[in-house]
Parts: sequence; C-alpha cells; structure tokens
Amino acid sequence: MPFISKIERQTDYNRFPSSTPIVIDNGASYFRIGWAGETEPRVIFRNIIQRPRHKTTGETVTVVGDHDTALLRYFDCTRSGPRSAFDGNVVFQFEIMEYILDFAFDRLGANGSRIDHPILITECVCNPVQSRSKMAELLFETYGVPSVAFGVDAAFSYKYNQLRGICERDGLAICPGFTTTHVIPFVDGEPVYKGCSRTNIGGYHVTDNLKQLLSLKYPHHMARFTWEKIEDLKMEHCYIAPDYALEARLFQKGSKEAEDKTRCWQLPWVPPPIEEPPSEEEIARKAAIKERQGQRLREMAEAKRSSRINELENQLQGLEFLLQQLGQVQEEEIPSFLSKTGYVSKHEIESTITKVSQSLRKAKGEAKVEQAENEEKADSSDKYPLINIPDNMLTAEQLKEKKRQIFLKTTTEGRQRAKQKRVEEELEREKKNREDEERRLENPELYLEQMRTKYKELFEKVEQRKRLKTTNGGHANGNSSSGAVGRGERLNAAQRERMRLLTTAAFDRGKGEDNFGAKDEDWQLYKLMSKDNDDDDDGPDENEAELARVCSRLQEIDPTFVPKPETTPSQPTSAEIPRVRPLTKEDFQVVLGVERFRCPEILFRPNLVGIDQAGLDEMTGVSIRRLSTKNEVLEDRLTSSIFMTGGCSLFPGINERLEAGVRMLRPCGSTIKVARASDPVLDAWRGASVFAANMQFQQQTFSRSDYYEKGEDWLRHYQLRYTL
Amino acid sequence: MEAEVIKAELVLPTHMSFKRTQMYEKYPKGQSKVRWKQLKQIIQAENYQNYDPDEPNYVNIESPPSMQPCKRICDITGFEAPYHDPRTNLRYANADVFKLVRSLPNEYVQRYLALRKAAVVLR
Repeated sequence: MPFISKIERQTDYNRFPSSTPIVIDNGASYFRIGWAGETEPRVIFRNIIQRPRHKTTGETVTVVGDHDTALLRYFDCTRSGPRSAFDGNVVFQFEIMEYILDFAFDRLGANGSRIDHPILITECVCNPVQSRSKMAELLFETYGVPSVAFGVDAAFSYKYNQLRGICERDGLAICPGFTTTHVIPFVDGEPVYKGCSRTNIGGYHVTDNLKQLLSLKYPHHMARFTWEKIEDLKMEHCYIAPDYALEARLFQKGSKEAEDKTRCWQLPWVPPPIEEPPSEEEIARKAAIKERQGQRLREMAEAKRSSRINELENQLQGLEFLLQQLGQVQEEEIPSFLSKTGYVSKHEIESTITKVSQSLRKAKGEAKVEQAENEEKADSSDKYPLINIPDNMLTAEQLKEKKRQIFLKTTTEGRQRAKQKRVEEELEREKKNREDEERRLENPELYLEQMRTKYKELFEKVEQRKRLKTTNGGHANGNSSSGAVGRGERLNAAQRERMRLLTTAAFDRGKGEDNFGAKDEDWQLYKLMSKDNDDDDDGPDENEAELARVCSRLQEIDPTFVPKPETTPSQPTSAEIPRVRPLTKEDFQVVLGVERFRCPEILFRPNLVGIDQAGLDEMTGVSIRRLSTKNEVLEDRLTSSIFMTGGCSLFPGINERLEAGVRMLRPCGSTIKVARASDPVLDAWRGASVFAANMQFQQQTFSRSDYYEKGEDWLRHYQLRYTL
Repeated sequence: MEAEVIKAELVLPTHMSFKRTQMYEKYPKGQSKVRWKQLKQIIQAENYQNYDPDEPNYVNIESPPSMQPCKRICDITGFEAPYHDPRTNLRYANADVFKLVRSLPNEYVQRYLALRKAAVVLR
C-alpha cells in the first residue's frame, strides 16, 4: 500500500486562534504537519527537496517533496538529486529545513506577517543541543513563532496507544524508523532515556539492500529499479521469516512452498512482430527490380567507358601532332614553342604520350603488365643517367639531380621487392590451404576436434583481454557505481607493469642511497616500459584475427557449430541481453524469491550489511540491562508490554519473530506480549496532537525570551513531561 | 515557466509573507556559502566526554556490537553459506554458485562485497 502524500493547500488557516498549536512530525522519511486536536495531519509529504535548473530560463528552482515525474521534464535534473536535511536522524542542513518548512507552512495556508501559533515539533532521542538550538533559532528568528516545544515521536505514539489500552504504563517502545531503530523503556509513563538503545539501521537500509540485490541479479533492467518502485515492492511483498535458516533451506531445496512464496514481477514487454517469409510473387518482383537496376548500371558504365576512350584517343592524337610539329621546328626556337603549349621538354611530351596510350589500353582492357615492366626498366636506365657518373665530374646542380635520381631508383626498387614478397606470401597461403584441405579430407573427425579446441582457447584469450579492457574502459568513463573499486582498477596491465618496474628499480639499488641512473644501463628501463605499453594494444588484434578465421572455417565445415556469443561488456548502462536466442517473456520477469525475507532480516541482524550493532531482539535485552533496576517485577512488566511503532513495524511476521527473540533473552516463564500500534505510521503525529491540545501544554513550551536568557545549557536539559 | 507547471504549483515560491527574512536575502547567489556541519562534526563539537557519562546523550545510547554469532549467508543467493572464496572474498552456498562467483567480472564482485561493506575502497 504505497503511501500517498497530501499537499493540498488548506484554506482554513484563519479560523484557528493564536493559541492553537501547530503540530509537526519531522521524520526522516515523511514530514507531517497539522493542527493540534485533530486526528489527521493536514499536509504530508516526503522530507526531501530537489533543486533542478529550468531548461529554458536557466534559473534554479526548489521542488519540495516527491512530485509527478512527468512535470519534471521541463527541468534539468541531472545535477540535482533529492537532498535531505537529515544525517541519520539528526537535522543538520538547516537551509534545506527552511525550504521544507516554507513549503509546509505555505500549504497549511499560512498568511500574515508571522506564524503566530505555538509549535510542537518532534526530534530524535537525545538530540545534540546544537541541532536543537539551530532549529529553535530558525523557528524564532525567521518565522516569528511565539513558543516552541520539542518531543520524541516514539514517546508520543506510546502515550497515544496507552490511552487506547494497547500498552501499559510501563513498557518498552520499539521504533524501527527510516534511518535508525530505537528501543525506549517507559517507567511510570515517562520514557527513561538512560535505558534507551539505538541501532543505525532502518527502512532506508532495507530498501537500499533490495535495490542493490535486484540490480545485481538483473543488470539489464536496472533502469526500472527506481527508489520509489523498490519501496512499493518492499511494502507489498517483503515479510520477516520466523526462522531465517529454515526458510532459506526451503528455497534451496526448491520445494512447493517455496514456489508458492515466490512472486514474479512481469515488466511490460511487447513480442516482436513475426516476420512472414516473403511469398513467391514478392521474391519474383524483387528479383526483377534488381535485374533492371543492374542493367541500368551496366549501361551507364558502358557509356562512361566509351566516352573516356574517345577522350583519350583525342588526347593522344593531339600529342602526336604536337610531336610532329616539334620535329619540324628549329632547335633554338624549341623553348619558346614549348612554353606556349605548356610542356617543358620533348622528353615530357613523350612520357605523357606513353601514359595516355597506357590508360587507353587499360580502358580497352588489354594486358599491359609486361609493357609496364619494360617501361620501368627502360626508364631506369634512361631516367637515372647521372647515377653511374662519379661525383667529381658533375656540377652542383647535376649533383642535386643525381641525388634525386638515386632516391627515385631506390624507392621503385623497394616497391618491386614488396610486390614480390606479397606474391610469395600468396603462394604460401595457397599451399597451406591445400594442405589443410587434404588433412581434412583424410580425417574429418580429428580435424574438427582440433579446430574446436583451438577456437575455445582463442575465445578465452580474447574474452579475457576484452574483459580487462572493458572493465578498465568502463571505469575510465566514470561509472559512479564502481566507486568502491576506485582508482586502482583503472590502471591496466601495462600501467601496472610500468609501476612495478619503476618501484623495483627505485628500491633495488642500495639500501641507503638512491643511485639509480649512475649506470647507463638503468635508463634502458624506460625503453622496456614504453615497449610494454605498445605491445599490449597490438597483441589482441592478432588473436582476434586468428579467432575470426577459425570461426569462419568452423562455420563452413561443421553444421552443428554455433559461434559463441561474446559476453556483453559489463557496463551497467548497457541494456542488451545477449541475443543468443530471441527474447522471450521470461527475460522480462523479475523474480522475488529469497529477497522477500532476506532484506528485512537485516533489522534483526545488522551484521548482514556490515553494521556491527545489535539487532532488534538483542536491543531489548540491552535496554533492560541498561536500566539496571534489579527489580525483576518491573522487568517483567516491561516485557509484558512491548509496543511496536514506526514505519518498519508493518512487515508481516515481525511480531512473532520479536517475541521468539525476546524469549531467548529473558528468564524462563516471564510474560512476553508484543503489540503493534494501531497505525504505526501516523500514531506519532496523533499522539503529539493530543498532547498539544491539552491545557497544560503551554507550560511546557519555551518562548523566545526564555531561549535567549537561559542559553544553551538550559536547552540541553530541556525535556518534555509526557504524562499530563 | 510552462502553464502546467504553474498550475500544479510544483515550484516553491520565493517570497513568503509569513517570513521575516526571505531565502534570497539570507542566501544570496543561490547556494549558501555556509558549510553545514555533518553529524560527526556536531557530535565532536558537543564534547560529551566533559559531561556525566551516566546522563544519556546522543552517543552513549548507541547499541553495542552484537553478541550473537554472525550468520553467514551466501552473497548471491541468500542461502546459508559455509564456504568462502579466498580470491574474491565472497561467500557461496554450493558448487553451482561457486561457478557463478568465479565467472563474475570484478565490478560485480565489488558491488556484492559492498552490500556487506567488505569491498576494497581505494581512496
């Protein structure tokens, strides 16, 4: 039953005279405010604020309580998470407290220049005086309140239920709250704080535990596990097992009762539309279209080719004509003639002619390999005439020319050598493939086995590398959930190696002095380090290439082989389920089995979440011990009226469990009775309201003048008397 | 501000008639420069050791550590876990869970450990 907030603005503020107190239950989870004497608080909302920025105007606004998320889309909420004024159960952020009080008074309908009513506000047990005084200051200074009283919410709840006969004058109040759990003994109707006991575990920890467990179990659906949704799940489905070990064994065996107790949450899921195999006509039609397109492309290519051939032929003709003309012109006039045409020398014209004729031949599709080779050979002897002439016979310019020709020659030779090597490799590969085929043909089974094992090994290696890489990549991207792991994991293998080398180098040399660097060999260390760094990145590529090859081979020859899907990188933000098979309905189900009773168990055993304090049942023993009355009758009376209040006491099964726990601590035969408040959530406010409506309430408040005259020390000793 | 936001009164108005000093006067430039003391600092400032130890105060009503033997449950499934993996420091219930434990990437291992505050924190 999710708790709904009430934030309607009240209109009857002015009906209440100045003497009517306003009652505030300032809890870590919810804030309740209303008028004294009434049975329900007027305004209830979650005790958090958010300060998002408006997307278009850019101003920062304040939003109090939890609001409709649809409206929040106008605001940029990335940098503003929900903030609470509480640290544990103590108020420490009074700026946030002020926003909350603003909102509360505003919704109560306050108008006028000050809040002119006495205020009764709840606080935690043994509130530090600093928090108390700041709260008093806030109320007096900013809101102009005439008088203030502080009380403990559990005590109010106890008194209220005492009036109704649910508990006696002497008893134990157990209050599992949102952030803390208290056990307070009541003697003669007054709480005895000396015997009080507090454990820092509450509903917040239960919800947080459930959220973490579900996120770890279903990382794909993490986006759906919001705080509010998990709280709803907790309130609806969690229960406390009478004996944890027995329940766990039930689930471990997988018995029928365990099945009944398992709840399943189906997330909304739409099955993908079934694709029908294309019908005959479809296939025919598509084939015809493809054919036509192919035809069109071929025609276009033809047209282009023929136009290019024409162009080249024309160019060739022009050049030949030019050459003829050149032959007729006189020797002296060659340069001027050539400058008009744009070519520098006869040689250049000739080379252009050869190039053009080559491209023409290529366009026409004739073989020209031998031609090219011949050309190159001829060129090498023509183009590099200067190489063979020794240096001292050449001028400076000719030397430069010679250098250039040497360079050109070496590069062309290098290119030829590379081509040759490639050809050789091709031949090698061909030979290997043929051998492979032969091996396969003669013994298919063995071959298959070998391939499979090889695939597995390679896969493992690649996976390992990938996992290392992605976890490091994930951290480097700044995933907030990896806060626990921290900086250390960001160092990948290479960096760790580097660190190791450096530290060994630093510490190996000499115990007293640091003489690293005195010898030249020491500096070789850095060369080693940088090489390590490079290797790490190149290495996996070979493995991956090999893996791909083996995979394709296996796919060809083995009909039963299915390539293993790579496990998706474990980034919390990715929402991909490994698509080994099509997604089914079951993938979108969240199963709550053991978690149902595992999470509330932490109330009784805080050790499960690492908090080393006593659980609920032990706390009662501690509390009675701290009272140290030596009066067994009193102790018996205390245990015969154990009263549970607070939001967390709504878990089913908590009463029986607590009774069993207390029975283990108390001497045999003592009476133990556990009763729950009539309304654990709202009874605190109701008790406070009844208290404030009483005539003698005014004597218990303190006013502004009191506060300033008497000072902090007096405030420290200020306690309410609950029996009126 | 959009019409529906105003209608829903989502945003807290900046001026309240019943306040003596408004928020924008008290905290100019939005966020306050005041660093509020955390609970630890408040408790430290209280100097409870100067006062009578019999008087109940915030610190001495805290519960003592548990006297009961620690129940070890499996980190992943929640069943009883008599076994402990030395490499990852996780608790597990049986061999199948162990396979799962060993196949978990390091991030998940640390998150499971963080559930019971046993994760390695590098700060």
